[in-house]
Amino acid sequence: MDTVTIEANGRKLEARRGEPILAALKRAGIHVPTLCHVEGLTPTGACRLCVVEVDGARNLVPSCSFPVADGMRIKSDSPRVIAARRTLVELLLANHPDDCLFCGRSGSCQLQTLSQDLGVRQRRYHGVKNAHSRDVSSPSIVRDPDKCVLCGKCVRVCEEVQGVAAIDFIGRGSHAFVGTAFDKGLNVSSCINCGQCVVACPTGALQERSNVDDVLRALADPELFVVAQHAPAVSVSIAEEFGMKAGVDIDGAMVAALRRVGFKRVFDTSFTADLTIMEEGSELAHRIANGGVLPMMTSCSPGWIKFVETFYPEFRANLSTCKSPQQMMGAVIKTYFTEREGLDPAKVVSVSIMPCTAKKFEATRPEMGRDNVPDVDYVLTTRELAELLRITGVDPAAVEPETADTPFGERSSAGKLFGATGGVTEAAVRSVHWLLTGRELEHLEVAKARGLDGCKEMRVRIGDLEVGAVVVSSLGEARKLLDQVKAGERKDIQFIEVMTCPGGCINGGGQPLGIGREAIAARMKALYRIDRGASVRVSHRNESVQRLYDEFLGKPLGERSHHLLHTHYTERDVLV
Amino acid sequence: MKPFLHAEDLERHRESLVAAYDPDRVRITVCGGTGCNAQGSVKLVAALRDAVGRHGLAADVEVKVTGCHGFCEKGPIVVVRPANVFYVQVKAEDADELVRVTLKDNAIVERLLYHDPASGTRVVHEQDVPFYAKQTRVILAENGHLDPTSIDDYILRGGYSALAKALTAMRPEDVIAEVKQAGLRGRGGAGFPTGVKWELCRKQPGADKYVICNADEGDPGAYMNRSEIEGNPHLILEGMIIGAYAIGARHAYIYCRAEYPLAIEQLTRGIAQARECGLLGEDILGSGFSLDFVIKQGAGAFVCGEETALMHSIEGKRGMPTPRPPFPAQSGVFGKPSNINNVETWANVPLIVNRGAAWFSGIGSEKSKGTKVFSLVGCVNNTGLVEVPFGTSVRTIVEDIGGGTPRGRKFKAAQMGGPSGGCIPAAAIDTPVDYESLQALGAIVGSGGMVVMDDSTCMVDLAKYFMEFIQSESCGKCIPCREGTRRMKEILDALTRPRRKEGGVDALLRMQGLMQLEELAETIKTTALCGLGQTAPNPVLSTLRFFRDEYEAHLYDRQCPAGSCKELVGAPCQNACPAGTEVWRYVAHVARGEYNDAFRVIRDANPFPSACARVCHHPCEKSCRAGASGGGEPIAIRSLKRFVVDRVPASTYRPLARRPGTKSARVAVVGAGPAGLTAAHQLSLLGHRVTVFEREAVPGGMLVGAIPAYRLPRERLSAEIEELLNDNLDLRTGAALGRDFTVDGLLADGYKAVYLALGSHQSKTLDLPGEDAAGVIPGIRFLKAYNLHGEGLARGRVGIVGGGNSAMDAARVALRQPGVESVTMFYRRSREEMPAYAEEIEAGLAEGVAIEELVAPLAVHTKDGRLVGVRFQRNRLSEPDASGRRKPEPIPGSEFDAPLDTLIVAISEAPEAGLLDGLKLTKWGTLAANPESCLTSRPGVFAGGDVTTGPSTVIGAIAAGKRAAMMIDRYVNGKLLRVLPKVKLPSVFVAPAGDADDEGAPPAERVRTPHLPLAARVGNFDEVELCISEADACGEAHRCMRCDLEFTQPV
Repeated sequence: MDTVTIEANGRKLEARRGEPILAALKRAGIHVPTLCHVEGLTPTGACRLCVVEVDGARNLVPSCSFPVADGMRIKSDSPRVIAARRTLVELLLANHPDDCLFCGRSGSCQLQTLSQDLGVRQRRYHGVKNAHSRDVSSPSIVRDPDKCVLCGKCVRVCEEVQGVAAIDFIGRGSHAFVGTAFDKGLNVSSCINCGQCVVACPTGALQERSNVDDVLRALADPELFVVAQHAPAVSVSIAEEFGMKAGVDIDGAMVAALRRVGFKRVFDTSFTADLTIMEEGSELAHRIANGGVLPMMTSCSPGWIKFVETFYPEFRANLSTCKSPQQMMGAVIKTYFTEREGLDPAKVVSVSIMPCTAKKFEATRPEMGRDNVPDVDYVLTTRELAELLRITGVDPAAVEPETADTPFGERSSAGKLFGATGGVTEAAVRSVHWLLTGRELEHLEVAKARGLDGCKEMRVRIGDLEVGAVVVSSLGEARKLLDQVKAGERKDIQFIEVMTCPGGCINGGGQPLGIGREAIAARMKALYRIDRGASVRVSHRNESVQRLYDEFLGKPLGERSHHLLHTHYTERDVLV
Repeated sequence: MKPFLHAEDLERHRESLVAAYDPDRVRITVCGGTGCNAQGSVKLVAALRDAVGRHGLAADVEVKVTGCHGFCEKGPIVVVRPANVFYVQVKAEDADELVRVTLKDNAIVERLLYHDPASGTRVVHEQDVPFYAKQTRVILAENGHLDPTSIDDYILRGGYSALAKALTAMRPEDVIAEVKQAGLRGRGGAGFPTGVKWELCRKQPGADKYVICNADEGDPGAYMNRSEIEGNPHLILEGMIIGAYAIGARHAYIYCRAEYPLAIEQLTRGIAQARECGLLGEDILGSGFSLDFVIKQGAGAFVCGEETALMHSIEGKRGMPTPRPPFPAQSGVFGKPSNINNVETWANVPLIVNRGAAWFSGIGSEKSKGTKVFSLVGCVNNTGLVEVPFGTSVRTIVEDIGGGTPRGRKFKAAQMGGPSGGCIPAAAIDTPVDYESLQALGAIVGSGGMVVMDDSTCMVDLAKYFMEFIQSESCGKCIPCREGTRRMKEILDALTRPRRKEGGVDALLRMQGLMQLEELAETIKTTALCGLGQTAPNPVLSTLRFFRDEYEAHLYDRQCPAGSCKELVGAPCQNACPAGTEVWRYVAHVARGEYNDAFRVIRDANPFPSACARVCHHPCEKSCRAGASGGGEPIAIRSLKRFVVDRVPASTYRPLARRPGTKSARVAVVGAGPAGLTAAHQLSLLGHRVTVFEREAVPGGMLVGAIPAYRLPRERLSAEIEELLNDNLDLRTGAALGRDFTVDGLLADGYKAVYLALGSHQSKTLDLPGEDAAGVIPGIRFLKAYNLHGEGLARGRVGIVGGGNSAMDAARVALRQPGVESVTMFYRRSREEMPAYAEEIEAGLAEGVAIEELVAPLAVHTKDGRLVGVRFQRNRLSEPDASGRRKPEPIPGSEFDAPLDTLIVAISEAPEAGLLDGLKLTKWGTLAANPESCLTSRPGVFAGGDVTTGPSTVIGAIAAGKRAAMMIDRYVNGKLLRVLPKVKLPSVFVAPAGDADDEGAPPAERVRTPHLPLAARVGNFDEVELCISEADACGEAHRCMRCDLEFTQPV
């Protein structure tokens, strides 16, 4: 490798030729604060907090974008650098609402941390603060432009990672702010509710629309029967909210904690993931056999669904008609379960715990319920669940693990794999193989579907059939693939799995904040570990699923399934 | 037209055009630039064509629309060629006369010629107009000749020959070498060497390269790029094609702001013509080189002048800068290597290729080669486009080309380079304009905006204006520029505003603010992302560097010295009056015919209304907005005051004196001049018992001793002083300090405080041998001898050394004495710089006083102990001093003798030091007193007026007396001798006179104050200046712009 020698704070360092100063310093253990830096994206140099002193340069240089050069002498801790950084943070604070005590990001706010780290102890700059109104129009995301520091990360993530570009900078100078086209509400924008902007946001400017209070109210109402379901990716990430390291699975403790909080039943969404595989697998087999629309595309990620409806309505027929596991669970709770328990569906409150902000939107879709009763009443993100537990004083680290409730508590590890990109494909391959050949796969693990790559391609042999499958995560990747399909270049694909968020639900917009790629990899590994150690590793062996078909649904793609477990899609006309 | 396939085709076409061109044909060229168009040039062209037709000249005379001549101040401009008769401000109505007289009668329409105010003559030829005479027009050379809509006209005059030369005789490397050798540097701002930039881009791998012309001219007041494009679009196109050839670019963009429709029209047409001629497109002139153009219209964001932002804008993205590296040469527009240059940089290229690097580098200064076009605007007589070689001084541009600052105001500074630049203060007016010299002063060449400011411009306000501009034009991307500039603007806002509350947090914040300004400026400068941000604090840094005292005046004294910050100044007239007279208020009363009310307002602020109505130097008029920004002449305020005091008996309003009580004390005032009497009178009103001691037999001080009766009649003065006396005030004349009493004695006698208002009665001497001869008289002694004792000391040929008011008074008094043959004033600087009031100088000259300027006395010739003459040496003006005034410097060998019988030395006066025994003096020999508390080095002893300041003004002495009275009152009552400066804003609403609203009426002219006819003044001391009539007073008062209403008008 081509290396150069630089000197940083008096110390000689090796650095890769042409790499940004920031990267070289980071490797050497020198922390340089940043607000706008996003790993993997082109530096924009907006926040200027990463400035360092370079010998010979008239001004301070931004280390995020400035490449190292041989013999370069850098100071990242000189009084000039410190004074500049401090002034910058003070300037941000001068235009900040100062309501940390009431802010959902208090404690996880990077501005707060910066201010503390730099030792800002005095309010020196005063003046007019920007005043915008909060945008609460979206069921998923609340925008508070007053707390925005204009780092632009949300804009770049939305455009560069997700290919959506629902938000951008508006206005000039100190009046500049981040907003939607024509500064309308997020709900009428092209936002697909994924919440990646929330994950990117260093402050409280972007947060999920909280349903914690609704759930607390429901739990306190003796008239109501409140049940919970939790998504596969939640149990491997929520531990981080309680100080445990990334990748610890606390499934049992979480179930116990949910009961302590007052949920009457706790179900596992992985159960309906298995159910989804039964339906979706059958659908794929049916489409292949009967010349249906191909490639078939997965439908469990609601951001992706809205993305297709908004930007690629011509692909609606390619989407699997299966509801997502959350909505399947909602549907069977409000029908089969209430019938079985003799409950009034209107008195049953169904709460789902999801790693996702788009699920909040999905739950509000008009087709997701019956007789004006929604299948899922409230969606809590992983973060909101942690908040709920803290409010109610339940420490998941201090409870004995318990198992989920029947009838929807049993799951195969295939269903659990839904939490990571490639998981749906892997689960589907396992079951479709059985569906079509009647035999189990020899090697259950589909290595090509695993890992954090944004686009993974594979050809899968199922008996006589060879299926081309592509697994993409992030809508930017999805867009690339769709454009190829649209151009007729991908006749080789029959199946496409799309997860809205890069890496899948383990990196969903509702997951614990302030984590890096390593944490996401650890969450992923946790899911694979669970799969490795599981006794039931294929969806079609989930006995509760089989019982559900026997007692209630009939068979996959049957009439009852069709009514309860399948849905349809609409073209969305948005402003931009 | 058939496209030229080879360079020879172009040459052949040119030859045919030249052959068909008749240089002697009469052409009436009319400027069609945006400036002239706005002033009616389109109609004018039609009228001229019509007139030419009507006079039957259609066949022989061509009416041609050309590009901008640059002298926009005087548009529309018409030049009749080949005779080169230069007409200015021609209206459509003038067309017929112009054609008839110039072309039929072969004469000249005198009234349409340029009138040179300096020489007072009319100039016939363009090249003789001073505005053009000192310019070197290279870029703009063709503008006044060329029809910008015709490519043939361009080719005829040599156009595209540089392109042909480059394509046929030069390799791309040769072109770059030529440009490098010429020393051409970027004309858009930082001055990066153009050839080096091209080379960087040429060396980049890849065949897809771009050249871009930055025509996003956005600096306030700058419009040279606009005129360059509008007047000669092909010059820029040709430069870009050559540049693209040198760089190896296939695509060219012109990024021009949409607010320049005419420029865009010319470019669009130009590109189409060039394409049609095969000068653009595939295989240009058979060279194998291909290029095409796209014009991109910018929406007018200032930041889009920054190259990375501009390129994003071209790509259709939001115009926001990105970090460099990568540089545009590596990854520019659409990620391809790109080279971006300013309009004017491109325009230089054909000239360099045609005439060679040596020619180009022969123009300009050592490191800055060639010429630069500046747009000269602001407080300067001739605004317009000025092209000069680099290295030309600011003085040449402002004074010689620009004709100096209007209305006799002083040049204060020139803002160079727009919001990213800085200012050149008057002291640095001789700075050569080039990249390095300006940078050393914290300014930049920038794109060439040059905004001239006179002394009515407040530099804090200027900085505020630019910060306002920057903070709203910042793209908002990086924190320092977005958040920092707005805080800087807010700090400047706070500085230019009165306090919200007295003292406390508000004051502290403002103090902090000034300190933070520099800190913020430093942070923004060193951390901002792009050039716009990094230079954003420059206007503040620059003004802080050269005008820190103005910032401090705003901060500590709540004063705007230039009288421009509205919220601190209120009504400028009131603000300018040292005594704080509510001028606007009495003027408003005069307009309403409420003369008694007017008198009351005057008298309330000033115990000497009648004296001031005659001799005040009226700073109020100097700052009057009707004169300054109103573009006309200030209100004749002193004449209005004279009208009021002459009409209203003083007895109408006599302030009541409080009866002495427990808070009263005995106070001694020494000196019955304006300072002493004002202090005494004010103290007496407050109930103190005051004794005034006056050395002379009559009170009045300099008012009676120095000012002659023809300016201030004695009976008016004594009546006025009489009005000031009351039961609390005892005036003792003939009682001299040091002779009849001492300060010690006064304090021992029970006076709680003593106010020394002794004046400055000691004339300074020339320090020449023979000065003690008979016939040499100190100025004050001469004036006093006559004014107080009726003694005429002058005789024969009288010379006066000095140029101030005392010198002028002495001259005019001498002129009135019997036995005087002639009176000549000798002054070391030029007449314009004489400190005497202009109207006094004029009156003196009218009466027969002669003035010898730029002379200094060397020796006094005597015979038998008596003066016979004086030897003088002539001076010339040299380098300016810190105030921007040029110092007089003797010319060796220029000595001459002036035979004189009387020499009056009136160069200045000082206090009589002998009287101030024991009190601390300043280094100038004046009595040291704290300017705030008026206290001298001795407790209980206060001082003010000329004794502390040296010779000054009447109204200054009155203001000093008022302040002293307030301080002495506080002193005897044991209060702190400090008051926070207060902003005095108009607070009383006086309804405008009923007929004040006729806005459409033409602005009336300033009233001319009547004077005693010259013949009636001879040999007597009758008052020279007379009172204006009631009708004139009313009319004059109606001219007032009523600045007060902004503060007092009920909502």
